[in-house]
Amino acid sequence: MRTHKVLLAALAAASVAVAACGGSSDNKSASASGKLSGSIDVWIMDPGSPAVQSVVKGYGTSFQAAHPGTKINIEFVPWAQAHDKFTTAIAGGKTPDVAEMGTTWTPEFADQGAFEEVAKPAPGKYVSSLIAAATLNGKVWGKPWYAGSRALLYRKDVLKKAGVQPPKTWDELMAAAKAIKAKVPGIYPTGYTGLTEHMYLPTIWQAGGQIATQSGKSWTSDLNTPQAVQAIQYYANIYKQGLTPKAAIGWEEPDAQTAFINGDIAMLVAGGWGYNAIIAAKPGMKSKIGVELEPAGPSGKDTAFAGGSHLVVFKGSKDTTLANAFVDYMLEPANLNKFTSGVGFLPGTVDGIKASGYLTDPVRKPFADQLLDHSQVYPPSPRWGALEGAQIFDGEIQKVMRGQQTAQQAAQNLAKKMNQEFAG
Amino acid sequence: MTTTPGQAVAAGRVSAPRPSAAQRLARAASKLTLPVILLLPAMTIIVGLVGYPLVRTIWMSFTDTRLGDLINGTSTWVGLDNYKQVFTDPQLRSSLVNTVVFGSACVVGTMALGMAVALLLNQRLRFNWFFSLAVLLPWAMPALAASSIFKWLFDDRYGFVNWALVKLGFHHFQDYAWFADRNSAYVAMFVVVVWQSFPFIALSLLAGLQTIPRDTLDAAAVDGAGALQRFWLVTLPLLRPVLAVLVIFSTIWDFRIFDQVYVLAQGVPDRAADTAAVTGYRESFALGHFGTGAAIAVVLFCVLLLLSIACVRLVGREART
Repeated sequence: MRTHKVLLAALAAASVAVAACGGSSDNKSASASGKLSGSIDVWIMDPGSPAVQSVVKGYGTSFQAAHPGTKINIEFVPWAQAHDKFTTAIAGGKTPDVAEMGTTWTPEFADQGAFEEVAKPAPGKYVSSLIAAATLNGKVWGKPWYAGSRALLYRKDVLKKAGVQPPKTWDELMAAAKAIKAKVPGIYPTGYTGLTEHMYLPTIWQAGGQIATQSGKSWTSDLNTPQAVQAIQYYANIYKQGLTPKAAIGWEEPDAQTAFINGDIAMLVAGGWGYNAIIAAKPGMKSKIGVELEPAGPSGKDTAFAGGSHLVVFKGSKDTTLANAFVDYMLEPANLNKFTSGVGFLPGTVDGIKASGYLTDPVRKPFADQLLDHSQVYPPSPRWGALEGAQIFDGEIQKVMRGQQTAQQAAQNLAKKMNQEFAG
Repeated sequence: MTTTPGQAVAAGRVSAPRPSAAQRLARAASKLTLPVILLLPAMTIIVGLVGYPLVRTIWMSFTDTRLGDLINGTSTWVGLDNYKQVFTDPQLRSSLVNTVVFGSACVVGTMALGMAVALLLNQRLRFNWFFSLAVLLPWAMPALAASSIFKWLFDDRYGFVNWALVKLGFHHFQDYAWFADRNSAYVAMFVVVVWQSFPFIALSLLAGLQTIPRDTLDAAAVDGAGALQRFWLVTLPLLRPVLAVLVIFSTIWDFRIFDQVYVLAQGVPDRAADTAAVTGYRESFALGHFGTGAAIAVVLFCVLLLLSIACVRLVGREART
């Protein structure tokens, strides 16, 4: 009898709560009291590990708990399909409210008018290169979430067996790879793929070249230069000489990572996030992995690509107030670091970096050094995302890897295609 | 009193006066009303779901539509520029050639395997019901799932195919990268496509085979025809109408093939193994060139339309002779 009464009371209370929620959603998000309500869809790139996925899902549940009556629907999108998926969503008018956007795509979609503008942030709040990457025509279109650079991961045990030191230059990498091939059976020296531009495009910087230069609003490709030719030649040679698995020509980056986890390759260009995913999949490997800056080219530069993500709010969002509130919630230092430390990136806010303790962690320090002092961003042109999405670079590089054309021809073709795309 | 038939007819004509033009029109209209009303719901759906996208795609293929244009509803008329590009750009052109060559190969493979399986099932073996059911399974599997599974089967290091081939003594296949080369990638994709499309063909042909009168075959046997001769001279000619329809179907399926190629040809160098459907999709949704993508789709549509018309006419001629 007593339990019945308690149950009834609980039910009554619940129905009042439900009624309250229903009431507040009528006058949508920000009412006079600033109470949030409603629901938003959020697309986040799949971080590739269940642990980090649950951190992101945790943002949703803790935000909902802090703001009863709100509903955050989080969906994970694999990186490889994301560009197509955003294009499809924008074309069909079925965009989410909030999304994570690769830094190279933000100017592209902003140019199409897909995002809500972000108020110009106070200087010193965010990592400045990430703000630069989110800026188009003097306006900012996304808030920096995180950043990272790839470095060189190597198997200490394999290098030791081959009797070589971790390579610091292109020549040393070639020599080390050949030594591994000769002395350590059953493992390929490297995992340089044909479908990962973040592995081969930075070699152009390392050779002392540029990818494209801007004058006014227009961009011109710099690929038809001796430096770019040298870089493509170097990258393709690793494949041609059998220092990377035959199938790697058709690998995406995660395939190379899987091969490293399986012990099929000894050296890998990967970011801190890749490192985290590897030791999460195979904890026993942690003691065997060393991290070094990317090998320097003939120019002495060891530049890597500075990648990262913005959080954007889509134009046409059902509820921009709630969307912005959720973005700001994700960027609070404590929340931010839960994600970045889990996924292996550096936070995109200056406060976040201070709170991360990244620079004092000996294992992850090379990743931080690579990003802060040895990295560059791709040309922030609105057409860059399409160039990436269409895998324009991959095709030409793959043909050189297979010996179907020379590095010189590839450089010429790429320069032509890039300039066509920049112009159109 | 007798009347000649001619008089009777003449009298009848007189007694029933010819209806006026207006009456005839009204009668024809009332005759049409019911069918039209009955057809209307289906027509509306077909026009909405097929007609509108078709017209819009054709229109779009004459414009330079970008992603931003889709959002703002703008576009620039460029005439035949997109079509010129489709036939001059080496990559787009080769995707059309790929479609025709690979598609035709798949049709031949599917028909051959389908016929072989149909003939086997027609032998009335024990457990025939079990085999018929088993044959249907590949057809029931989503193409995307099948493609992903086959990608693993053809994996260079951990795939079953390489493992089995090496065990059989073909040491060349140790770590063999199927998708690093256009031709070997096509071999793998051919296997996937044929494996998935033969069940329907096999069961349709089986149905066709069962309609062939045993007497005819027995008569041929009595006349001294061997098994092979019976197949070529009796079975095949009698199956021809069914075969023709099935060839049309598989041509349409195999020429517009998307899922298998999208999954399996992704890593093939320079995307050299892409077919027109995948190229059109990528041109639209990866590069944002919706006009060019639409032009590829229209070209593919026209090719299929012509093939279908040719096949239908061929079947018609078969039926008359």
